[in-house]
Order: sequence, then C-alpha cells, then structure tokens
Amino acid sequence: MSASPAHPTPVTTTLAVADRGHGPLGSLVRHGWEGFRVGIVDAPWMLGVRAPDRGRAILVITIDGELAVAVRDAVPGGMAVVRDGRSHDGDAIAAACLPWPWMVVGSAVTLTPALASLLRNRPVLTFWLGDPPIGLPSHARCFDRPAALLDAVQRACTASVGGMRLAPGSGVELEDGTLLRSATLESLIAAYPRGFALPARTFRAVADALARHNAGWSPQRDGAEGTTLVRAAARSQR
Amino acid sequence: MRANPEVLILEDDAETLDELQSHFTRKRFHPLGARSASRALSLLENNRYSSRPVLAIIDWDLGKAPDRTASSGDVLSRLARELRECPVIVYSQNIDAFNVRSQIQRSHPRALLHDKRDGDASLLERIDRMLDRTVGDLRIHDGTVVVHLPTLDQHHHREAIRLVVHHPDIVTFHSDTATKAVRRFGEWLHSHNSAVRLVSHGNRKYRLSATAPEVVAPDGDA
Repeated sequence: MSASPAHPTPVTTTLAVADRGHGPLGSLVRHGWEGFRVGIVDAPWMLGVRAPDRGRAILVITIDGELAVAVRDAVPGGMAVVRDGRSHDGDAIAAACLPWPWMVVGSAVTLTPALASLLRNRPVLTFWLGDPPIGLPSHARCFDRPAALLDAVQRACTASVGGMRLAPGSGVELEDGTLLRSATLESLIAAYPRGFALPARTFRAVADALARHNAGWSPQRDGAEGTTLVRAAARSQR
Repeated sequence: MRANPEVLILEDDAETLDELQSHFTRKRFHPLGARSASRALSLLENNRYSSRPVLAIIDWDLGKAPDRTASSGDVLSRLARELRECPVIVYSQNIDAFNVRSQIQRSHPRALLHDKRDGDASLLERIDRMLDRTVGDLRIHDGTVVVHLPTLDQHHHREAIRLVVHHPDIVTFHSDTATKAVRRFGEWLHSHNSAVRLVSHGNRKYRLSATAPEVVAPDGDA
C-alpha cells in the first residue's frame, strides 16, 4: 500500500458556477417551495448527492428513490452515507464516491457501461432487488424481497471478521485498535464469507497490510466464492 | 476572545424564525436567520470566508417565503457541496412521504430529518440534545466552549465544538487554520488525559473517539 497522501477532495463553488452561466442564482432555481424541482433543476450537477466525498458510500440506483429511503433507515447511524441515484445520474454519483462506492444497490434499472465496468473491476458490494440487469458481476447478490436485501445491507454494515470491523464513516478497526484505511479491506470484511470475482492483484495491498499488522487473516481465492478473507494459518496449509 | 459559533436557520414563518433565533441567542450561538432560500444562500456566501455554521436548521416547506427565487433544495445542495462538515436538520410536515425524503436526500445525503407535526418544542429538544452534548469526559457549554469535566478546563475553538457536536461522525476541515486548531485540540485532550481522543482519517478528516485506535498511514485505495 502506498504511503503517499491521497488526492484532496475537489471543491466546486456552486455560486461561481451559477454566476458564470446564469447570473446571480438565475435559472438554477426557478420558483422555490417544497424543495421545488430538486431532481430536475437546470444544473443537476449541483445536487448534493453528486458532491465528491471520501466517506463510505452506498449508492442506491432506482427509478423513484423509494428503496434508497428504506436503505437509509436500515443503515446504522454514522456507518455509511446513502446516495440516492437514478439511472441517468448513477454514473456521475458513482464517480463522486471516492475511491469508489462501498456498496451499490439497485432495482429495476439497466446498468450503464461505465457503471458495469466499475462493478466488474473494483471490489464493490453489489446487491440487486429483482431481476438482475445485464452486466452485473458474478459476485453480485440478488434478492426477491426488499426485507431480505435490507437485512443484508444491515449485516454488511455491522460485519466483523477476526476482530476486524468497519469503523464509523471509513476505514477498518483491527483487533488491536489500529485504524486501517483501505476501501478494499472494508469490502472484504462486509462481504465475508463471500468474496469477489476479481484478479488477485486487486487484493495484494490488503494482504501486505494485514501481514504487517499480524492480523491473522489474508485475502485468498476460494473457488466459487472468489477472493475472500481466510485465516492466515489456513492459508499456509493450502 | 470567544467566537460564538453560527447556526443557519431557514424558516419562512416569521414567528417561528424569531423563536428559533431567540433560542440560539440564549444558548450563546450566533443565529443566521433567513425567511427565504435566496437570503440563506446570501448569508452563506457572505460568511464563507469568515465562518462556517456549526449547524443548519432548514424548513423544507417555504410556502410563506417572501422571495421564491430559490428553494430549500438549493440551500441543502449548497450545504452538501461546500459545508459538508455542518450537520443539517431538515423538517417538514410531509417528512413521511418517500418522495419528499428522496428529494431531501438527493439534495443533501447526510441531512437529518425531523417531523414538523411534532411541534417546535420537539425540534428545539432535538437541537439541544445535539448541541449540549456530553462525549466521554467532555461537554459543550453555552455553545462556545468545550469543558473537560474532571478539571473544568475549557477549550474555546469552534472547530472543537464542531467535533463534539458531530461525534462519532467524521468531520472534514477545509483550511489549514481549521486543521491546526483541530490538532491543538487533540494535544489539549492528550495533555488533560481525556478519555476522548482525536482520530485522524487523513485528508483533513477527523473524528473523536472514546477509545482511540492507533492510526496508520493510508493505503493506495483508501
């Protein structure tokens, strides 16, 4: 894992953008009551849901946002931010989740090529309600009932493997109290005992970090489950 | 010198706005009150270099606003983009409707929701619970100081108050000055043997923890 500092979160000055294009707050807002036309303002890039952030994020992509509201209620306070996306802006919201969304939940929408590529190349927990769209990775989990999906979301947030658990907001707290900042490790812990059908190089940095901290666990390819966490002792026996 | 932390209040009803402003003034906060969204946006713009509110109270329904050129959603989006560290409470008569909640979440994914039908007293109670917090052996007093209860020593910086208000969530700080203030607060906690510790998540992100983990260097993908 690199010790170099990560890039700072980009900042957009919304009023400056408004001023350039439309005069002082001109066409951004139109008539204002009841959060008027929040989803269809002239400048949808200004919606808060598209603001870049490095916190743990759950991107929920649906037609109407109802599932996102339910997911938000299911997530324990402070563990993750739920980002309510639609099929037309799912890509943009996913790009704003840095380094990538921890979890993507979807229902009744198609996957854009960019989002499908992200899900196939990064260890993103992928939960789907109903029939899966084309392009979902093989490690995606599909659910028939919302209650089962919400239960899985809750379990992922509170997962614990060998004393390692998700820290509030971001990172992983190891058994010895060390806070390890690794999006990949967060995904491995939340997915356990399942894994990710991704190349071994995706997990090399996590393996090195866990070995450095004598965590007793390491990512390893485990047949049908893909790459998952296994006890270091078990690993040496294989 | 103490800098009273600002609280942004967007409420279209003049009487309710007065009540909320008086409440915060009594608690030694500096209320930035607005009856319209455009006024709230102006307040944020005018204060952007001098201060950042520690809390925002937003009425989602602005039917009585004198100026309707902006919406509560615009204020929330602005807060989400540029004042992420500011906790936001949004209240509405229709907070149960999933489409209202969805719109609020798309404007500000971290916004806390409150049912306006529970009355103003309920909102004030909730605000007080947030602002008069006790975290470990620390307590906010009069909105302007963090008190270390065993010694009664005080720390006055508003960024310290922000961290206590946010506990256990992560707070992102946006300037070197704020980051330095946070580190000084961390040293102050250490020098007082406080049960609360400052935890750095890198990239100017910090949170308070009662059982502080040792923090290691970031990895490549975090």
